[in-house]
Amino acid sequence: MTAVEVGPAVLGHPTPRRFGRLTALFSGQSTVLDRSLPSTVLFAVAALLLGTGTLPVADGELVLAGLASAFLATLVARLVTQPAVAGDLALVVPLVHLGAVGLLSAGTGSAGVLFLLLGPVLTLVATPGRRGVLVAALGTAGALLLPELLASSTAPGTSLPGALLLGPLAVGLGGLGVNEGARRLAGQAARIERLENERAVLLAQVQTRADELDQATRMLAARAQTMTSVIDAVTEQSIIGTDRDGVIRVWNPGAEKMLGLPRPEVVRKRSILEFHLPEELEAVSEEDGSATGLAALVHAAQEHGSDVRDWTYVAADGQQRTVSVAITPRTDDQGAHAGWNFVGTDMTEARATERMKDQFVSLISHELRTPLTSILGYLELVLEDEEQPLTDEQRSFLTTVERNADRLLRLVGDLLFTAQVDAGRFTLKPEDVDLATVVRSAEESVRVTAAAAGVGIVVDVPAGGLVVPGDAVRLGQACDNLVSNAVKFTPDGGQVTLTLRTAWQTPDGAVYTDARPDAAPVAQLAVSDTGIGIPSTEQGKLFTRFFRASTAQKNAVPGVGLGLAITKAITTAHGGMLDLVSAEGAGTTFTLTLPL
Amino acid sequence: MDAAQPAPAAVATPDTAGVRVLVADDEDDIRALVTLAVRKAGCTVVGSVADGSAALDLARAELPHLAVLDVSMPGATGLEVCVALRADPATAGIRILLLSAGASLEDVAAGLAAGADAYLAKPFQVSGLVQQVRALTARQPA
Repeated sequence: MTAVEVGPAVLGHPTPRRFGRLTALFSGQSTVLDRSLPSTVLFAVAALLLGTGTLPVADGELVLAGLASAFLATLVARLVTQPAVAGDLALVVPLVHLGAVGLLSAGTGSAGVLFLLLGPVLTLVATPGRRGVLVAALGTAGALLLPELLASSTAPGTSLPGALLLGPLAVGLGGLGVNEGARRLAGQAARIERLENERAVLLAQVQTRADELDQATRMLAARAQTMTSVIDAVTEQSIIGTDRDGVIRVWNPGAEKMLGLPRPEVVRKRSILEFHLPEELEAVSEEDGSATGLAALVHAAQEHGSDVRDWTYVAADGQQRTVSVAITPRTDDQGAHAGWNFVGTDMTEARATERMKDQFVSLISHELRTPLTSILGYLELVLEDEEQPLTDEQRSFLTTVERNADRLLRLVGDLLFTAQVDAGRFTLKPEDVDLATVVRSAEESVRVTAAAAGVGIVVDVPAGGLVVPGDAVRLGQACDNLVSNAVKFTPDGGQVTLTLRTAWQTPDGAVYTDARPDAAPVAQLAVSDTGIGIPSTEQGKLFTRFFRASTAQKNAVPGVGLGLAITKAITTAHGGMLDLVSAEGAGTTFTLTLPL
Repeated sequence: MDAAQPAPAAVATPDTAGVRVLVADDEDDIRALVTLAVRKAGCTVVGSVADGSAALDLARAELPHLAVLDVSMPGATGLEVCVALRADPATAGIRILLLSAGASLEDVAAGLAAGADAYLAKPFQVSGLVQQVRALTARQPA
């Protein structure tokens, strides 16, 4: 799952400007310059009034000093930007402005300029904290007192002691009110700003969540699209999904092709059972002991989690197809059973081919056996004819013919047998088989050949025999194969040892020579030779049909490579194991293990 | 094959003298071989045919003691002839030996289910066939 991308617009949500201005003014965050501007403007108006003569000029020096100090203070405020210094200037600049009003008042000798007090006084009282109010009151007093002080030094007499007291008092009281109002306003502004910030954060969160949701929705849609496109891309297999009652919910193009109905005519309209043969379901339900209908169809999948077998699908046109169907239960997002999936591969042609191959092999083996019957039959008549005995040479030649006819016959049998194993038609005739007897008879059958080749055979079997459940003919065939192989691959002077004993096999498959508590008894036949051996790289392929070890080819040992494949098939069919240990040039041991 | 009981060692015993045998196989060489084996057993071959329906007609006409039938024959298979012979009371007593190139358990079971007394897989040993013929006919009162 990819991380949700959050755009810069979301994180950088701006605080609205209009609130910023307001709260800055009342929370002391505005610059000193900002605050001194109203005063400066008033001074500029005063300067204009003085210049036009609207206001009288009594003492030009004082007027100039007043205006100069006012504009100088503003200029200083303009130049100072450091916050630390700005804090003190916030009080100093209006104070200087008050002084300038005092100077102007003295210089004009008119109370008219006192309107100029309004600017610095308001600036001071609006300053956070009560200090500004005090400074405003004292400054006002100073400004009112200044003309008196200057006048007394030149012309003492006229004074307004009442105004000197009332002015600062009014400024102090009014200032307190303004200051408190400003404080409350600042508090409200701060709250508004906080709420605004919270709202912005919430908005950002909502936006993020909305984006995530949008992303997830898109991914889900993409995933669904992928699934659909994958299912739709399957045109050679039918993918059918049903609900628990067998009503079809999923129907891919493969199903359309196989069963000849388009999706809209099937989904939610038809049951999977409409495409099955009722008699086939009936037979399965009898066999499994399950209920009929859908229960019979999904019985094995329900029992084992999944089931693969051939079913007959009936297409819309009534045509029947042999389909290998994998059935699995489907669960919903809560893990509850939601229905069934049926994935089918049309095996009609493949099964027909298998049948043909099967019939072909049967036919060929029948056709080969018939002439062999004549060859072997008439050979026997000639060889056994006591009335017209053969010369030794004739007998030798005909014996060679007979031996090769026998070999051909065995080959035909082996081919037929492998075909039966392939077709799954390999059946065992179970009975009690004494393996000791089987081993001894295998030894007997190769005794002459072994003696001729100079190979000694040692037979070590339990005197009392060792009985296993199995097919006597097939076990004999397996044993004969191993023993004749051992003799064939052992050079002159070598030895073949046949050892049969009881052993114990633990559930993990390991075999021990001594009894163990959790081990089951097994019969173990070891066929060891001192022959040419099998290269380790070839040992894995040894049981593959028609495989011949390089050592066998190099030493021109006759054979077609069916014996071990057949022996392995027989062993497996008996629930046993066939293993080998071999070293090139040293010999080979085949171990056949059969359950008792 | 319960019929494979030790046969008398003698070449031609009075047991088989006059025993009449029908041979049916579509392969001429094998038919000749079977005929030889039957004669070796001391029996008389009353008919030698190459197809199933002829075998059935001849069996009904001759009522032999033993019919040696190949399984795969044109006209009617050995199994069909077998069933037909068993179904008719007049021919139900004829002993039947089936020969077949199919040697699987299913083949043997099908043969015995059709009513054959014995079953021999091809290729067979001539001596084995001789023994079978003797065993099957010796039980029959001559």
